Amino acid sequence: MAQADTASLPQAPHAWYRLARTARREPAMAGGVLVLVLLCLVAALPGLFAGQSPYAIDVANALQPPSAAHLFGTDDTGRDIFARVIHGTRITLAICASSLLIAAVIGGISGTVSGFFGGWIDQGLGRLIDVVLSFPPIILGVIVTGVLGPETSNLILALSVIYLPVFFRIARSGAVGEVGKTYVEAARCLGLPETTILRRHVLRNVLPLVLMQYIVQFPLVLQIQAALGFLGLGVQPPTPDWGAILQQGKDAILLAPWISLFPGLAVLITAFALMLTGRALQRSVDRR
Amino acid sequence: MTRYLARRFAASIVTAVLASIVVFLIVRAVPGDVVAQMLGQTSDPAATQSLRAFFGLDQPVWMQYGRWIGAALQGDFGISWTGGRPVSTMVVDAFLVTLEIALLTLVLATVVGVPLGLLSGIYEGTWPDTLIQTFNLLGLAAPVFWTGLMLLVLVSSALGWSPPLVYAAPGESLSDNLAILFLPILALGLLQAAAYSQFVRQNVVSALHQDYVRTAIAKGVPARIVFFKHILRNIAIPLVTFMGLMLTQILGGVVIVESLFAIPGLGRLLLTAIQTRDYPVLQGALLVVVIAAMLVNLGVDLLYRVIDPRVRLA
Repeated sequence: MAQADTASLPQAPHAWYRLARTARREPAMAGGVLVLVLLCLVAALPGLFAGQSPYAIDVANALQPPSAAHLFGTDDTGRDIFARVIHGTRITLAICASSLLIAAVIGGISGTVSGFFGGWIDQGLGRLIDVVLSFPPIILGVIVTGVLGPETSNLILALSVIYLPVFFRIARSGAVGEVGKTYVEAARCLGLPETTILRRHVLRNVLPLVLMQYIVQFPLVLQIQAALGFLGLGVQPPTPDWGAILQQGKDAILLAPWISLFPGLAVLITAFALMLTGRALQRSVDRR
Repeated sequence: MTRYLARRFAASIVTAVLASIVVFLIVRAVPGDVVAQMLGQTSDPAATQSLRAFFGLDQPVWMQYGRWIGAALQGDFGISWTGGRPVSTMVVDAFLVTLEIALLTLVLATVVGVPLGLLSGIYEGTWPDTLIQTFNLLGLAAPVFWTGLMLLVLVSSALGWSPPLVYAAPGESLSDNLAILFLPILALGLLQAAAYSQFVRQNVVSALHQDYVRTAIAKGVPARIVFFKHILRNIAIPLVTFMGLMLTQILGGVVIVESLFAIPGLGRLLLTAIQTRDYPVLQGALLVVVIAAMLVNLGVDLLYRVIDPRVRLA
């Protein structure tokens, strides 16, 4: 069929149709992506979803259980929990996304370099990464934020340090795999400089692995971020961060469980959606 | 084997030493030391000077490190700057509390996670599998401290029961001890059970798709024998090693539930030491955590070699 008439060929299916087909094949992933899109919308335009201010204090209506006026109830100063959770979406997700991005960029590049060049660079970096890995993640987060002080920048630093080794290892093993392949050998024979091979060939092939890890690790970062906030080491009140709201709700847990219930549910739903999406993506990659 | 052992051990020691230096430096990177905290705003230089000399803070950092690590190697971690108790007894006491939680959590996670994982793996793609996988994902997605809080609300509103407020050692009152540890262990255990079940399922499913299993089924080997001899025996090794991985995970998770339920374990010791800038306690507790995690990893690695002859020969 060298020169077939294009009109007689079946038309490529429409993009929407393809989307619907994928959604039918992977309903769990479709659900996960839908939730994530909604979350991004909430993060971008919180005012659209929550009419009340997350900071407005109303002592007369303190510790109210959920009602029509306050969907998720109010906290000990009468602030609307619904507004706080909605407005907290942006802060919480932004912190996780940026920390993970820093970890992915630094870990990805250093891991690729380490795997590509090998030798003493690899030895040295590997040893450093081992040291970071010898601390359990949460404990590392507690030390960094606790010692440097509970500020958002320190929180981001702590989360990046915790996740750097993950990206380092993935990128390193990817690079080691690429180095042995014939196209790298061919590029070397053509006399391409090592840095060009690294940038143009190896890094580009390592990138998908790193992107995949970004999605797989996101729910875990979210939980550590919430845990540090809960310990009082994350975002500080009155800023509405999910972990920070949980920390405030802790002392009134038996009196007003709704303060803790809803931000925790927000973490759970977000992590659940991310896990569904990540798993489906991983499956589709494995199948290929 | 001996050569491998020696190399592995040497690498661990190098990492431990580097980690101890990192621990020491992090602690000293803090703006404001214990002296500034003790004297507050109105400190006169003479008092600051003498107190800093008393705590050894006037010496160069490398000398402080040398003194500390030298004593630590002999089991002397110094004296707490805030309570005056020897750090080694504080750390050992706290470690035993944490160890009890960790081991009981491990038991719970194994008892719940392994059967669930086997079940969902064998019934891959059917409704029990979907149900168990949903449980797994929910368990992994829920923040562990939140699960703990919600369990607390649940038992106190439904059963009218709440755990004792003051920690009791198992030696003092075993029933009080278990009562206070019940909820944190349940919360941590559910999370780890979900992780374990997920892992077991993956292993069962990939074993089920192996040629030798298909052959066994095709030639009419009874299902029970296929399960025990062909599947279980082959996945036993990763399942055992996963327990080591979980133990280090639990060691981290314990920090949060301890602070939530006011249990005097290593996690709470670390947190208070950070808040009060109690360097010797912070260093001692951190070093113990790092070394414990390292020993678990080393143990798992060795176990792996002992039970799997293929790895031993390689």
